[in-house]
Amino acid sequence: MSGGETSWRTSRKLDQWIAFWSVPFFFTLFGLVFVPLSWMMPPRSPQNSTPHIVDFMQSHNLLIACVILTLAYGLAPVSNACYLIQVKRMSVSPAFRYSMMIGAVTGAIVGMLFPMFCFGLGAFRPGYSSAVLTMLYDFGYLAFIGSLGCFCVMWMAFGLAIILDENRILPKWLGYYTVWQYVTELMAAPVWIAKSGPFAWNGLMTFWFAMILYVSWQFLVYICIYRAIKNQLEAELDNAWADLRPTVAPAKSSA
Amino acid sequence: MTDVARGSTPQVDKPVRAEARGQVPGDSSMWFFVIGDLLIFGGYFVGYMYYRGRNHELFLAGQAQLNLDIGTVNTIVLLTSSLFVALGTAAARVGNRAESLRRFWMALAFGAAFPILKLFEWIPEISRGLTPGKDLFFMYYYVMTGLHLCHVALGLVVICFIIRNVKESVAPKISFVETGATYWHMVDVLWLVLFALLYLMR
Amino acid sequence: MTALIRNPLTIVWALLTTVTIASSLIALDGGASHHINTTVTTAVLLIAAVKTFLVIWHFMEVRRAPLWLKATTSGWVLALFALLLTFYFASL
Repeated sequence: MSGGETSWRTSRKLDQWIAFWSVPFFFTLFGLVFVPLSWMMPPRSPQNSTPHIVDFMQSHNLLIACVILTLAYGLAPVSNACYLIQVKRMSVSPAFRYSMMIGAVTGAIVGMLFPMFCFGLGAFRPGYSSAVLTMLYDFGYLAFIGSLGCFCVMWMAFGLAIILDENRILPKWLGYYTVWQYVTELMAAPVWIAKSGPFAWNGLMTFWFAMILYVSWQFLVYICIYRAIKNQLEAELDNAWADLRPTVAPAKSSA
Repeated sequence: MTDVARGSTPQVDKPVRAEARGQVPGDSSMWFFVIGDLLIFGGYFVGYMYYRGRNHELFLAGQAQLNLDIGTVNTIVLLTSSLFVALGTAAARVGNRAESLRRFWMALAFGAAFPILKLFEWIPEISRGLTPGKDLFFMYYYVMTGLHLCHVALGLVVICFIIRNVKESVAPKISFVETGATYWHMVDVLWLVLFALLYLMR
Repeated sequence: MTALIRNPLTIVWALLTTVTIASSLIALDGGASHHINTTVTTAVLLIAAVKTFLVIWHFMEVRRAPLWLKATTSGWVLALFALLLTFYFASL
């Protein structure tokens, strides 16, 4: 282990590690929320009948899912922060990390917050007419799957930053893999038009292929970020100026 | 997967005898991208064929409306552009910068013709009501060729950077030239398949 | 100029262009485009397979590349067109 840390508690990278470990927690939680809890994922069909939609929007499970979503949504910025700390070390222009940051922020608002509101309204507020619930259902799924612009910018910025980086903080192939995320965002555009078939929001081309790419990317970026944090020299940390370590090396071994 | 770190070596280009190389041309990470892109598009192509199999009449009817002439010309245009990129790379390798530059300008000219011809294809089609929303065939047509067009646009930018590199430095970075060339040829390969699937097959 | 014309790359290009035109003619000869035609489809797909292989082999210089790259790219061409033809015939 480079950097000479003795225990994780006195590690100068503790902030990064906390942010890092929040990521699987966050994604597992979301996995639970979206899949077995509410069956929001894989996406329900855009062509579901109205009674079906109403049932789903007012289901008990969706209610629990929305509660968790509301409470845990704030973890999204933390995982992005984890990536951005590493991007900051790259030799590329700061324009990349600012684009990435704003892209991630706006993307999360549209891609996660809006669906949360839509499905939350259905779950928390009984009494809406079925027409309204249908609109919220469409709104929620379209916002979740069809919101591309912000994420396009984020992926492109992240991917290009990695590819052009001369400090080789993250491996170049990961940069290309990230550019593929951008491609899958573009492929999501047809969901606004197609209500069935491979280009609908639950379609082979727009959802399933994209999921395969996205999930694999998430694992890979995770491993690469771990290595990047681990290999980062302590002297180069952002908070290196504030020496938080005790002046005497701890005599007792850590518990 | 080759170690990417080797791919981004500092650019001290020894004039390597072309036959002696056992390594991939250009950056190995670009080959990672190429192979991956081929696999991803491969998935899309097979998906197209699957859905086509369930909608033969619809797809055939749609194909009848495509402009086979422009499609064919565009295929030849891209092949020619690829030729000049390959020739330009060869010239750069032996140090003939002037010839290499000429060839890359030709490559750029032919490459730039592709999106222009595409416009001549798409605009009349859209005015005739053949939009992505019309049916599944046209959705596939616009999405796949649109995605490919984005690749072409990116490739043209890459060629411009290659031209700048060859023009402005006394010892052009051959690895960079090769990397860009590899990308461009991939774009060509993808179109060859698209052309057969969208325009030709019955 | 003659050196350019006799360059192996140019010869490959000439071949590619010729078969491109040939396959377009085949597609046109397939008659009215409203009918399934297995002969035309098989022909144009096989031609496309050959074209992609030639571009990969010669333009992308895979013929001088290490074995793993030769295998991967050739494998891709083979697998893709095998799958395409399989799905096509299975759907008839």
